[in-house]
Amino acid sequence: MSHAADFPYPVPEPGTEPFWEGCNAERLLMQRCNACRKLRWHPAPLCIWCQHEEHEWVPVSGRGRIHTWTVITHPVHPAAVDHVPYVVVEVALDEQSDLRMVSNLVDCDPVDIVMDAAVEVCFRRHASGQKLPVFRLVHRNT
Amino acid sequence: MHAAIVGIGHTEYSRDSGRSELKLACEAIGAAMRDAGLRPDEVDGIAKYTMDNNDPVEIARCPGLPRLRFFGGVPYGGGGGPAGTVLLAAMAVTTGQAQAVIAFRAMNERSGRGTPRFGQAWMTDRAEGPFSYLAPYGLFSPAQMVAMAARRHMHLYGTESRHFGEIARICRHHANLNPDAMMHGKPMTLEDHQASRMIADPLRLLDCCLETDGGAAVIVTTPEFARDLCQPPVHIAAAGMGGGAWNNRFMVKDAEAVHNETTVITEHLFQDAGITHDDIDVLFIYDHFTPMVLMALEDFRFCPRGEGKDFIGDGSRFRWPQGHLPMNTSGGNLSEGYMHGMQNIIEAVRQLRGTAPCQVQGAQHAFVSAGNAVPSSAMILRRDG
Ligand SMILES: [Zn+2]
Repeated sequence: MSHAADFPYPVPEPGTEPFWEGCNAERLLMQRCNACRKLRWHPAPLCIWCQHEEHEWVPVSGRGRIHTWTVITHPVHPAAVDHVPYVVVEVALDEQSDLRMVSNLVDCDPVDIVMDAAVEVCFRRHASGQKLPVFRLVHRNT
Repeated sequence: MHAAIVGIGHTEYSRDSGRSELKLACEAIGAAMRDAGLRPDEVDGIAKYTMDNNDPVEIARCPGLPRLRFFGGVPYGGGGGPAGTVLLAAMAVTTGQAQAVIAFRAMNERSGRGTPRFGQAWMTDRAEGPFSYLAPYGLFSPAQMVAMAARRHMHLYGTESRHFGEIARICRHHANLNPDAMMHGKPMTLEDHQASRMIADPLRLLDCCLETDGGAAVIVTTPEFARDLCQPPVHIAAAGMGGGAWNNRFMVKDAEAVHNETTVITEHLFQDAGITHDDIDVLFIYDHFTPMVLMALEDFRFCPRGEGKDFIGDGSRFRWPQGHLPMNTSGGNLSEGYMHGMQNIIEAVRQLRGTAPCQVQGAQHAFVSAGNAVPSSAMILRRDG
């Protein structure tokens, strides 16, 4: 298996550029409906809750909890050969109970991961130059 | 639904077929036509998996179908494909769009002669559309996505890896009674399962289906036309497709969603067939990954959600011949061969004809599901009597 520099790079679609530009500025932005005010992830052209067409890109805290995760040990992409083992995590963001996003958990030993652990966003520069939102464990009182 | 399966056919299941995917499809379809006693001029429809590389025109050309009146495809691979293509075929003959319709799957998924291995399928350096929110994080394969749902289920309900192992062992038990199964002659203990290497924690190698080269086909027609054919008809008592509320995700199953791809089907399927779960004599739950079998049993309401681990138990309920609800009696995707579920449909038909290696005596109703965690399909088959 040949070694690629990195995992596939994201190709922004019309309408999603603010998210990727926000990442490059190390800000996690999400679409918020102008009518029902709910956030949605991943981006959609209209509100998935009330179908209203107008939205704003707003910053979210980037804080959340681990909803689920997997430790990937078997590389299935050329770039993964240099990455395994790595952790893919689904994070439930603090802002809204049904707002969850897939990302990586970085800078951690997989044995330290527990369900509902607090995490916060940080940013990793992909080989393509695009920054990606990833998460790390934080220790905070609840 | 006013339709029946009247022909079944398949190639050998192997790691390297040594022939083209078109040849595999033609061999399976030819075998199904001979099984039914159908001439090419009596077959006029093709229902395919959208992702199958074989073009309907090529498929029609080779068996020599002179008048193709119906063709269609069903997306989502092993989710839409197996029961969904049969459903599509059944709708075509029920509405008179066609007289007899082929539903098939053929692929060189193990050798890679035409179809890339699904576990290693992502070789591009671009991530577009919904994948741009998954692939840059190294989330590519179905196994990795299923692992995340399995972990959540374990957390919510106390499900353990050994319960997944028992599911793998049920399929392997049946494969060892089926000489055509790829894993025939290779028994599996729970210790073997627990010792198999981790793929995407908590998924181990023996939680994952096989990779297979081969072809499998069935032919669907009306009960009236079926009367003059060679085999006793196996009726499609009910069939359905399902997609859930994929609100905040793409392809990563939400273990606690109230409505999902499976529950949507369950809402109608048994009622449409006019039976209850207790009437099912033999069970075919799509087994791409063992945790998804457990979750399908719950979502199809064979047991309440969260009780899948107890329902699986030591697996004895599902093992032929002693078990009351034999499951995947030819070995399934996990141990017979990975024909994207079409091999389970063929085995369900054998059970209802009374010709299966692990024959369930007097079987009248078979339940057949397609893959969950993606938009899915399922059906209930019934023999006359
Ligand atoms: Zn809204």
